[in-house]
Amino acid sequence: MPGIIDVSQLVKTYGDGTKAVKGISFSVNEGEFFGFLGPNGAGKSTTIKILTTLLQKTSGSASVAGLSVDSDAPKIRKIIGVQNQDTVVDEDLTGRENLVLQGQLQQMHATAIKERVDELLKIVDLADAADKRAGFYSGGMKKRLDLATTLVHNPKILFLDEPTTGLDPQSRAAIWAYLKKLNEQGITIFITTQYLEEVDRLCRRLAIVDLGEIVAQGSPGELKQEIGADSISLGFENSSMNGGDTRKRAREVLQNRFDRISNVVDSDIGLTVYAKNGSYMVPELVRAFDEAQIRLSTIGVSSPTLDDVFLKHTGKRIRVEEISSANMRGMFGRRRR
Amino acid sequence: MKKLVRNPILVFFSLFQPIIFLLLFTQLFSGLGRFLGAGVLSYTAFATAGIVLQNAFSSAFQSGTAVVDDIKSGFLSKMLATPVNRSAILFGRLLSDVFRVVVQTVIILVLAYALGVYPATGAIGYLLVIFTVAFFGLAWSGISLALGLKTKSAETVFGIAGAVTFPLLFMSTALVTAGFMPSWMQSVSTFNPVSIAVNAIRNPITGCNVNQTICNVGFDWNTILQAFGVIGGIGIVTLGATLYLFRKVVS
Repeated sequence: MPGIIDVSQLVKTYGDGTKAVKGISFSVNEGEFFGFLGPNGAGKSTTIKILTTLLQKTSGSASVAGLSVDSDAPKIRKIIGVQNQDTVVDEDLTGRENLVLQGQLQQMHATAIKERVDELLKIVDLADAADKRAGFYSGGMKKRLDLATTLVHNPKILFLDEPTTGLDPQSRAAIWAYLKKLNEQGITIFITTQYLEEVDRLCRRLAIVDLGEIVAQGSPGELKQEIGADSISLGFENSSMNGGDTRKRAREVLQNRFDRISNVVDSDIGLTVYAKNGSYMVPELVRAFDEAQIRLSTIGVSSPTLDDVFLKHTGKRIRVEEISSANMRGMFGRRRR
Repeated sequence: MKKLVRNPILVFFSLFQPIIFLLLFTQLFSGLGRFLGAGVLSYTAFATAGIVLQNAFSSAFQSGTAVVDDIKSGFLSKMLATPVNRSAILFGRLLSDVFRVVVQTVIILVLAYALGVYPATGAIGYLLVIFTVAFFGLAWSGISLALGLKTKSAETVFGIAGAVTFPLLFMSTALVTAGFMPSWMQSVSTFNPVSIAVNAIRNPITGCNVNQTICNVGFDWNTILQAFGVIGGIGIVTLGATLYLFRKVVS
């Protein structure tokens, strides 16, 4: 059975020759909560832009609700809701007016708009602030309003590009709670995010992209099982000064003395080792490194998380960026002129 | 997007300069009137046309920075993800800009009226003025929109606007008659679209001929139609370029 989103051998090459997406294929079923993860520059946003008809693909095929992104773009736009990375609300308008405007852009009838807007204001807890200008809203309120604008026309599919980046934990939790509710009501959700615990909890399936290719897909449980091992995080003293050298020597030690290790990857502080029953290995590891005169600063064992899955497939840890200046702007409001 | 017009602060602040021009500049040069030509009765009346045009000129350049803002803030993407007709997005922008210019022009004309500038050709003359200014604003918005879409940088649009505005304005008949300029500047002014447009706006206000030597001539259709031709030509080129660049951004 074809999915509600079907992507096959999708390629996007930009005018300057950059290959942002190199032939990815995946499919999302109706009603699914689908996570699309990857480091910055992996091709996530490009893929979302193609699926939401904002960008033309170079080759391959992509369809949304059985409609081709090339020939049926206007029809697709009627049934999807799109939230960009940036919070886009018109700060000169009130919350209500923002929603009404969006309803008009969606070419809905005035009476339908009015009803739906009242309903949405309640859903995102903005009923009290509905008639205040959005410029006076907090970052979290703006984000909620932005989310509401994507829902005015009762979309079947919601595309969200990092909807919670830069928000405080409380606002983030609120957004995820709304998304969960929407999904339970039957809306298909396609989301990119950097918050793995939330993906773990909410997404039924996910795909990990890196450098324009899908490196893994499946349910969070499947992907974690695939690792099939605990992760042992090793931190070396002086790893910042001659990290390369220490890592190299440590890898040699691991290779010569341990045979139960399934994988070793570099991490920020040293190395991450994957092995079954990792906790039993700790004493042996300490002894071995001591003999090799490699000083350990930390050692920790954990059962696999999505972060490990991510690290294994992309060689990078997903990192939630500190509140950067860009996010601060989002929080304190950006004036539209 | 059209609702942005309702931000009164923007309309007010962009009017600041023309109002200062109208109130102070005309006083500063009030003695200039008699040197400009026999027909010039008051410098304020003469300069009103120039100030109206200058306002349209700088106002039009705001379109380009606004479109850059729409691209950068993600507002354009958000609209493009809705079923709204693509060209409606562009024309909505242009219409709101033209509307703003018209509102500003009316405010300037009302203020000028309070200062004693009465239209020589009556209300119809003023309607013609507003129409000409709107038409000019539309064509000139095209330049700034094209620049904004091409460079995607508000600073660049501002920079080019600043570099272009004053030379074009001062080498035109916006603030003095052609006879008042050195001869090389006169030849520049003849081909300066700003001069051509300003002459067409001035005629209904003062009721004089182009060089302000003979007055009470009524509508000087030669001047007005020439201006429409030139503005139309500019408009076709600039709006064509805008449409082309917009398609590229949209796809």
